[in-house]
Amino acid sequence: MEILIYGAVTSAIYAMLAVGFTLIFGVARVLNLAHGSFYALGAYGAYVLTSIAGLPLWLAAILAVAGVSLFGVLVEKILIRPLRYSQLGVLMITLAIALVVEQSLFLTFGSEYRNVPAFVDTKINMGGVDVAGQRLLTLVVAGVSIAVLYLFIQRTRLGSAILAISQDADAAKYMGIPSDRIFSLVMAISAALAALAGILAGPFLSVQPSMHLLPIVKAFAIVVVGGLGSIPGSILAAFMLGYAETIVAYEISTSWTEIVSVLATLLMLVFRPAGIFGKRTAF
Amino acid sequence: MAALGSLDKLSSTAGLVSLCLLAVLPVLVGGSYLVGVLTVAAIYGIWAVSWDFMSGLTGRENFGHSLFIGVGAYAAGFLNVQMGLGPWWSLPASMVLASFFGLLLGFPTLRLKGPYFALAMLSAAVIMQRLMLIFWEYTGGEEGIQDITPLIKNHLHYYWFVLCVLGLTTWLFAWLARSRWGLILRAIKGDEATCMAAGLPITTYKIISLIISAAFAGLGGALYAHYQLQVSPQLFAVVTSITIITMVYVGGIGTIFGPVGGALLLTLMTEGLRNFGEWRLMIYSVLLILILFYLPNGVVAPIWKKIRAMLTSSVQGTGAQRPTDKATGEA
Amino acid sequence: MSDYLLDVKQINKRFGGLHAVRDVNLQVRRGEIVGILGPNGAGKTTLFNLLTGFIPPDEGTVNFQGRSIRGLKPHKIVNLGVARTFQLCRPFVGMSVIENVLVGSLGPRVSDVDLGARAMHLLSEVGLAEKADTPSELLSYGDLRRLEIARALATDPELLLLDEPFAGLGSAEIESISALIRKLHAEKNLTILLIEHKLREFMQLVSRVVALDFGEVIAEGVPAEIVSHPRVIEAYIGKQTPEALA
Repeated sequence: MEILIYGAVTSAIYAMLAVGFTLIFGVARVLNLAHGSFYALGAYGAYVLTSIAGLPLWLAAILAVAGVSLFGVLVEKILIRPLRYSQLGVLMITLAIALVVEQSLFLTFGSEYRNVPAFVDTKINMGGVDVAGQRLLTLVVAGVSIAVLYLFIQRTRLGSAILAISQDADAAKYMGIPSDRIFSLVMAISAALAALAGILAGPFLSVQPSMHLLPIVKAFAIVVVGGLGSIPGSILAAFMLGYAETIVAYEISTSWTEIVSVLATLLMLVFRPAGIFGKRTAF
Repeated sequence: MAALGSLDKLSSTAGLVSLCLLAVLPVLVGGSYLVGVLTVAAIYGIWAVSWDFMSGLTGRENFGHSLFIGVGAYAAGFLNVQMGLGPWWSLPASMVLASFFGLLLGFPTLRLKGPYFALAMLSAAVIMQRLMLIFWEYTGGEEGIQDITPLIKNHLHYYWFVLCVLGLTTWLFAWLARSRWGLILRAIKGDEATCMAAGLPITTYKIISLIISAAFAGLGGALYAHYQLQVSPQLFAVVTSITIITMVYVGGIGTIFGPVGGALLLTLMTEGLRNFGEWRLMIYSVLLILILFYLPNGVVAPIWKKIRAMLTSSVQGTGAQRPTDKATGEA
Repeated sequence: MSDYLLDVKQINKRFGGLHAVRDVNLQVRRGEIVGILGPNGAGKTTLFNLLTGFIPPDEGTVNFQGRSIRGLKPHKIVNLGVARTFQLCRPFVGMSVIENVLVGSLGPRVSDVDLGARAMHLLSEVGLAEKADTPSELLSYGDLRRLEIARALATDPELLLLDEPFAGLGSAEIESISALIRKLHAEKNLTILLIEHKLREFMQLVSRVVALDFGEVIAEGVPAEIVSHPRVIEAYIGKQTPEALA
């Protein structure tokens, strides 16, 4: 039972990270190695706004998410877009940005772990297991936000524009879809999801300057398994990875959880590089 | 567009002269501080040149070079401290172990187009770093492995040894880059499909280049371990990989000798920036961003080309040399 | 033992719902110049990709010199003697013209003679000798085509697959590349398989035509027959290329 719940929580966080990561790739062909930085900035933003500015958590959360989204949009516009023609250029610049963010956080806050307050402090008993309310909240929020995103893409005009661009960017342009603005929008969504994940998970996961690295590693593993550019694939793979790690942590030992993502990635690349729902094969 | 610096007499002489100057420098200046800095600079040079051979030539950028470095260093640590072997065993062991990882990671990822290689290497390095911490009973955790015995006790002599390794490594890579290998790797960078249509097994070439690159990075790692006399998980950090990539870009990507200059330059600059302490890494990252935007061909290689052009025109009275011979296999 | 150099039977390829190549049969005798004709989207380049190992076929057999090459990697097929050019010429960026050709000379079919001299010889055959040291990205379209051909020839092929060698060229260039192809065919006894969708240039060059539409073979025969074949005409009029019939 514990595994069921904790696995779900882990998967939910992974899903939020992976969906954002795969979204910006699917639409703009940008592999954003600074994606983890959004996660980190969300957590730190909530920390700063609550403990230093003294704002209530709900307000801090909204501001943090908005701030990180804006940051994402600016980064995309100023630093990433000029290098869009080169996939490796994008990788390099986003990695550099991630490091700059990490160093800024380190210089400002030092390397000790910081405390991000939780929305829900109580423990809830589910099926005989005491679960931190915050974790359940994370699960719920993740589910809701991804569902909202799904509806947005499927039902709205803007969503259709996003789909169009992800299938054929040039054709979409000829049809008058303002791809640049859409890229900004998608980046904002992607960053917001990551920041939200950071704010929700901050209370129970570690908050320190290098916290941006693992999300990238996990996100990469997930999109390899699920298929680069596929949102359903990312969600499914997020759950697979989340549960695999939780099971390993409970049955074997927590030390081995990291190996899961590595193994999953390598095996997938050897046998089925396109991932489960991969739209384009890697060859 | 990275043009290959041909190993013509002028470049070789310049390289040899620089090496001699570097060897003599600490003797002239005196004191052990400079020797230490230059030793580290030379090791970074080995790391940078090994990165450039694979990633600079093929265009498949490796974001996890620190993995091979760490593996080589920890191999040295294990053999020396945990297993009590003499320090000279570290050198071949580090190369073999690093090569193994090169094969392990290269095989699934280099077959594929796209970012898989770059990201998989990045992930692998991050994971390795965590593994070193997680399995702390074996690896010493945060503090790593201490009390490694030095290869050569005299710092100056060890420095000269490292310089020799740097010289040989650079010469080897420059020779390979000028041979058919270099031609094929650059063709892979140009267009993989056309390369396949030319009858070349590009995946094999990519994997073997990675293995060679990894082997020398590992060797550098072992040399570093026997200099610092300790190894820690920090070696695997992404920052190490980024530092090396910055050095390569500053030096001139794809030029082989440029990255050595970049390594020297940046290491010395870092020492000069010592007062900035914690800001050092920040400056590196910002520097990388600036170079990507404004100086993608680097600093060292373009300057050397200008110097060489001036020297050859003043000596020969004519301008360009006929560069076709650099491409044919003279072997 | 087939006396066909290339023997393709019932080859099929589907991409999801699209049946790109459907039950295609193709036999090429040594020394022939065969043309593959068809409007855009007919599956011609896909067929080439299937024959040269860039895409695996779903069904069918592909035999070269009597042995199956289906499922082999592209470079292995090249090393058996099948060379191809690409419709969108992609030279090796950052390398000079002669370096491009040299890369093609590194395979096992080429004995270890002076590769530089051999490359220069190939370049002069295609008319690019003076441009040997030019960076390949600076070449004009026509010269790029010549470079592609030189690069393919460098692998010492028995069968040469040319993918739309005339695309994007003006009529003078087309004439001259056409002449080049004829010359190479005559001098080296190369077997050539050629894709084009422009009829005129192509008809004078090839001895036999296989016409494709929607992935299927719709007609086969000598040029004169094909030009007046009802299904071929329909395929072209049905699409919008009146210039192709000129």
